[in-house]
Amino acid sequence: MTTTYISRHPLEDRLPLEPGIRAVDHLEVPRGKAIATVMAMDGEEAAVAAGLAASGDVSVRFVAPGEWLAISQSDTPEVLHRNLSLLLAEAAYIFDQSDGRVVFRLSGPNVRRILAKGVGIDLHASAFEIGTSSNVLCGHISVNLARSGENEFELIVMRSFAESLFDDLRAMGREFDLSADFAAEG
Amino acid sequence: MTAHRLASGGLVDRGASLDFKFDGRAMKGFAGDTLASALLANDQLLVGRSFKYHRPRGIVTAGPSEPNALVTIGRGASSDPNTKATVAELYSGLDARSQNRFPSLKYDIGAVNGLLSPFLGAGFYYKTFMWPAAFWEKVYEPIIRKAAGLGRAVLERDSESYEKCWAHCDLLVIGAGPTGLMAALVAGRAGLRVILADEDFRPGGSLLAETMSINGVSAQALTETSLAELRSLPNVTIMPRTTIFGWYDDNVFGAVERVQKHVAMPQAKIPVERLWRIAAKRALLASGAEERPLVFGGNDKPGVMMAGAMRTYANRFGVGAGKSVAIFTNGGAGYRAAADLAAHGMEIAVIIDSRSDAADVAPDGVRVIPSASVINTKGRQRISGVVVERSGFEETIACDAIGMSGGWNPIIHLACQRGAKAVWSPELQTFLAPDVGSGLIVAGAAAGHYTLAGCLKDGTDKAAAIAADLGFSAVAEAQPVVDGEIAPSFTALWYSPGAKAKAFVDFQNDVHVKDIGLALREGFGHVEHAKRYTTNGMATDQGKLSGINATGLLAGMQGISPASVGTTTFRPFYTPVTFGALAGTSRDEHAAPVRKSPLYGWAQKNGAVFVDSGLWYRPAWFARDGEKTWRESTDREVLSVRQNVGLCDVSTLGKIEIFGPDAAEFLNRLYCNPFLKLPVGKARYGLMLREDGMVYDDGTTSRLSPEHFFMTTTTALAGGVMSHMEYCAQVHWPDLKVRFCSSTDQWAQMAIAGPKARLVMQALVEDDISDAAFPLLAAGVVTLKGGLNARLFRISFSGELAYELAVPAGAGEAVADAIMQEGRAHGICAYGLEALNVLRIEKGHVTHAEFDGRVTPDDAGFGRMVSALKPDFIGKRLSTRFGLTAADRMQMVGLKPVEPDKHIRAGAHLLREGAKPSTLNDQGYVSSACFSPTLGHDIALAFLKSGRERYGERIVVWDKLAGAEAVAEVCTPVFVDPGNAKLNA
Repeated sequence: MTTTYISRHPLEDRLPLEPGIRAVDHLEVPRGKAIATVMAMDGEEAAVAAGLAASGDVSVRFVAPGEWLAISQSDTPEVLHRNLSLLLAEAAYIFDQSDGRVVFRLSGPNVRRILAKGVGIDLHASAFEIGTSSNVLCGHISVNLARSGENEFELIVMRSFAESLFDDLRAMGREFDLSADFAAEG
Repeated sequence: MTAHRLASGGLVDRGASLDFKFDGRAMKGFAGDTLASALLANDQLLVGRSFKYHRPRGIVTAGPSEPNALVTIGRGASSDPNTKATVAELYSGLDARSQNRFPSLKYDIGAVNGLLSPFLGAGFYYKTFMWPAAFWEKVYEPIIRKAAGLGRAVLERDSESYEKCWAHCDLLVIGAGPTGLMAALVAGRAGLRVILADEDFRPGGSLLAETMSINGVSAQALTETSLAELRSLPNVTIMPRTTIFGWYDDNVFGAVERVQKHVAMPQAKIPVERLWRIAAKRALLASGAEERPLVFGGNDKPGVMMAGAMRTYANRFGVGAGKSVAIFTNGGAGYRAAADLAAHGMEIAVIIDSRSDAADVAPDGVRVIPSASVINTKGRQRISGVVVERSGFEETIACDAIGMSGGWNPIIHLACQRGAKAVWSPELQTFLAPDVGSGLIVAGAAAGHYTLAGCLKDGTDKAAAIAADLGFSAVAEAQPVVDGEIAPSFTALWYSPGAKAKAFVDFQNDVHVKDIGLALREGFGHVEHAKRYTTNGMATDQGKLSGINATGLLAGMQGISPASVGTTTFRPFYTPVTFGALAGTSRDEHAAPVRKSPLYGWAQKNGAVFVDSGLWYRPAWFARDGEKTWRESTDREVLSVRQNVGLCDVSTLGKIEIFGPDAAEFLNRLYCNPFLKLPVGKARYGLMLREDGMVYDDGTTSRLSPEHFFMTTTTALAGGVMSHMEYCAQVHWPDLKVRFCSSTDQWAQMAIAGPKARLVMQALVEDDISDAAFPLLAAGVVTLKGGLNARLFRISFSGELAYELAVPAGAGEAVADAIMQEGRAHGICAYGLEALNVLRIEKGHVTHAEFDGRVTPDDAGFGRMVSALKPDFIGKRLSTRFGLTAADRMQMVGLKPVEPDKHIRAGAHLLREGAKPSTLNDQGYVSSACFSPTLGHDIALAFLKSGRERYGERIVVWDKLAGAEAVAEVCTPVFVDPGNAKLNA
C-alpha cells in the first residue's frame, strides 16, 4: 500500500480563532518551520557558535552550553538537517526536531505585559535584547523564549504541550483581545 | 446624630453620589469615599461584633490596620468576607453586611458571651482540652466554633478570575506617601526603572489628609504635581490598589493588586485581583507609621477612634467622626488632630493628656487636663461621655466621640519578614527595623522620621543614595520648606491606670489587659507564648494595632524594658490575600498542563476512553458499540492481539537520542547490563539502577549507528532519566564525549502486536522485514511505501510477534490510520493501557508497579542480567550489600487462584495458610493483578519471600481493603508462551 502521509499541526483544529480578525496584539503560529537541535562535540562549542552565527537564513536559539535550536523559515526539515550537517560536519551532532517542537510568535504593543503573566524573567528592552533567547517556564510549561523583534517574541514548545500553551497564551492575552492564527507564510 | 458629612472639604467628589447598602439599609456616599467614611457619613457607628464577647464595635482606623470594621461585601459566590471597610473603595451598588452577629448587628444574642467573660479569659480554649475529651468534642468545640469567628467563607465556586504576573525594576518604592513620592521622583528623574506601589486607591498617603503646606503649596497639590510628573516618566510605573505583602529571597516581593474590587460589574476579560511577584534590585520601604492606640477602660466602644483617623476622615473624606470630640493623647499628634477637627467646626470637648508638662498648644478655648487618665467611657452602642481621673478625682465629661493618640509604631513588617528582629529605640519609644542590607532600605516615618519635612528629606536622600549605588546619577534636590510642622514627640503610655471597665489591647480578638496579666501569671509571659495564650495579635490584623502595646504591657508588668520582651515574629502576609489570587489561573483544567500524544486525534476517532497518566491523557480502552464495561472492551482487545493484531500508542515513552564516540561507554555505565558491544541495528532491554542498587527505570536502547543510540524510558520517569543522565554526564563522567537530547515529542510511536503484525507491517514498509531479515530485537531506519522515513524496532511488551514503529509526530495520525486500514482485513484493533497491562502481566513483564524502588534486579528475576564483568556501573557497589543478596528476599512470582472464580487484587498481602495476619507473618504482596481473558481466570504478579523456590506452594492472598481472601498457587510469572515461540515467530 502506497500512501502519502499528510502531516498534521497540533493546532490544526484550534486555529484560526476568529477568521479574519487580527488585533494589535497577535499570536501567530508558523506551520512549516524546520527546527533542529545542534549539539557541539567536545571542545567545538565556539566553532559551532561561530558557524551558526554565519549561517544566514537560520535563526539560532540558545538552549544550553554547547546546545542550540536552529530554525529555518524556508528550508524543509531534510534540507536544514543536510545544510547544518555540511556546515558543522565533525563539529556538532544535528537532530531534527521539526515535528517535536511548535513555534508561537507573539507580537504587539502589549506583548511584554502578556508574557509577564507567565514568564518570570525580565523582558525589558534593555535587559533582553533582540536575538536573546532563554529556556524559561511560561506558567507550568517549559519553553524556549526568544526576542525576535522590537515588540516580538517567539516561544518554542514541545509538541505535546502546544495546545496547553496555546490555551495559556490566550488566557494571558485576553485582557488585550489577543488574536491568533496560523502565519501567512505557511 | 454623631458622625456626619461635613459641609465642605475633603477629596471626595461631592458631585458624584453613590448608592450602597449596609445590612440591607440603603445609604449614600461620594466617589472617593471608603466604605468606612461613607458609613460614618451616614452615622453608622456600629459596624461589627467582636470575636469572643460579641461586643458592639465601631470603626477605629482609616486604613489597613482596622481590627473592627470587617464586613462581607457582595452576594453569593462573589462574597468577600472580612473585608476592611476602611480600605474598601465605595462604588455604586456596593452591598455590605456586618459579620459575627445573630440575629442582627444591633441585637446580638452572642453578646451573652460577654456575661460569661470571667470564664472566657486567656487560655480558655486550651483549658477546655484538660476536661474529658468527649466533653470538649461534644460541648465546647461546636459552641466555640459557632460563637467565635469572623466572616464565613462561601462554599460556592468563585466565579471571578485571577491571575499572576511578574514585574522587574531597579527600585520598588513601597508606599506613595511623602517619603515614597519624593523617592520615586528622585529615582525616576535619575532614570531608574521604578515601581511605586500603594495599597490605597488614591496615591498620596498621609499627604491626602495633611493641612500643612510645602513650599507654599498644599500637600494635595504637591501630591498631584508629583504624580503627574511620575506618570510622564516612561521608566516609572505607579501601582495603586497594590499591597506589597511579602519580602522573599532574591529581593522578590509579593504583591496583590485589587484590579476590579471597586466595581459592581467586573469586566470578564480582566481579573478581579492580580498577584504580582516583583523582582527589585533595590526596594525602599516607605510604609509610614501607625498611630498607637491607648489602653484604657471602655476603649472599645463605637465612637472611640484613633485621633489620626478622625483627622483623615475630616481632612480627606469630609466626614466628622463626632459632634463633640474628646481627645486622649500622650503626644503632639493629639493636639494636631484637635486643631484640624476644630478647624472643620467640630467641638473639642476636652484634651486629656497623660503627660504633666506638654508644650503642645491646644486650639483656642479647649480645656486641657494634664496628668490625667481615662478610666471609663459612657454609653453602649455609642459614646455619651468620658470618665477622667486626675489626682484621685473622677470627672465625667460629655462627648460623642473619643480620639486616642498613643504615639507612633513604624510599619516595619516587610523589613522583618526574613528573620530580622525589630530593635527597641529608647529615644523613639518604639521598635525600628534593623539594617537588613542594601536590598531593602527603610525610610520616612517607617524609619522613625515623623515630621513631614523629615519624611520628604529622607525619601529624597535615600533614593539618591540607591541611584548612586546602582550607577545612576541623581540630581541634588532643594530641601522643601514645610509650614506649620508640629513636634511629633510622645511619652509612651502602655496602660491608662485605674480602669473601671475592660481595657482592650486587641480589639479584634477581645484581649484586654487582665488577659495579658493572666498569661504572665500562668507562665506564658514570653511574647510569643502570650500571643498564643491570649490570642493577642492573631487573626486578620496580626497585631498591627495591638502588638507593640502587648509588648509594652508585658514589659511594664515585669518591670523590664520592652527591648527585653521584643516583638512577635513578622511573617507574610502583611494583610490577608485571597486564595483566588494565590491560585491565579491555575485552577480547574488549568491546574496542570495537558500533554497530548500525536496520536490523540487517532485515538479519539477510534473511540478511546482517556485516562490521566501524569500530564498525558492516554487511551485506557477503545469502547465499541454494545460494550458496557471497560472489562468487555479490554478482554476483546487482549484476545484480538493474541489472535490477530492490535495497535497501541506508545508515544508517551521517554525518548532520548544519544550521540558521541563515548555514547556506548556512557550507556554501559548507566545500565547494569552490558551495552558496550551492542551491534548497530540491534535493540536491547536495559535496566538502570539507583546508586543504592534498587531498580530505577527500564526500557530498550537501540544502536542506530556506531555513535548514535536511541533510548526509551518509561513514561513516568522520562524527565527523571533525562536529568539523571545530565547529572552523570556533567558531574560523574565529564570526560566522556557524549551528547544527548530528548526526542520524546519528535516521534509518534506505535506498537503493532499480534501474530498478524508482520502481515500488516510488510504491506506498509518498503524494506524486507521477514524474520530472517528483521529478527527479534532488530532496530533500524526503514522507508514506508510512499517515501516516509521511519524507525522500526522488533520489540514486544505483549509477548506476541510485535514491532514498534516511530514516525515524525506530524505524520503519526496518518500512519496510524494507514495501519488500521491495512489491518482491517486481519482483524486489527486499537488497544489501550488496560489491555497493554493485561498482556504484559500474562507475559510476566514488569512495570513500575513492580519496580517501586524496593526491588533489586534479582528480586524481579533479572539477576543474571547484572554484569559481573563490567568494572563499574551505577548501583554496582551497593548491590552486593548483605541485605540485597539475602536468600529470603521477596522474589517475583506468578499467582493463580486455586478456585478459578476467585479474584486477586494488587496491594493484597501474602500469608502462609493458617497464619494470623501480622507484619511478622507477612510473606509478600501482590504488585499487579488482572483477569486474563487468555486463561479465563485472574492472574497476578507478586513478590514472595524466596518465591522462586516455592512454585506449586499454596498461599493465602489476604486483602483486608477489599474484605476478601483467596488461596492461590505460586507459579512462574510467565503465564503465556513461556517458550517464546510467538515472540520469535
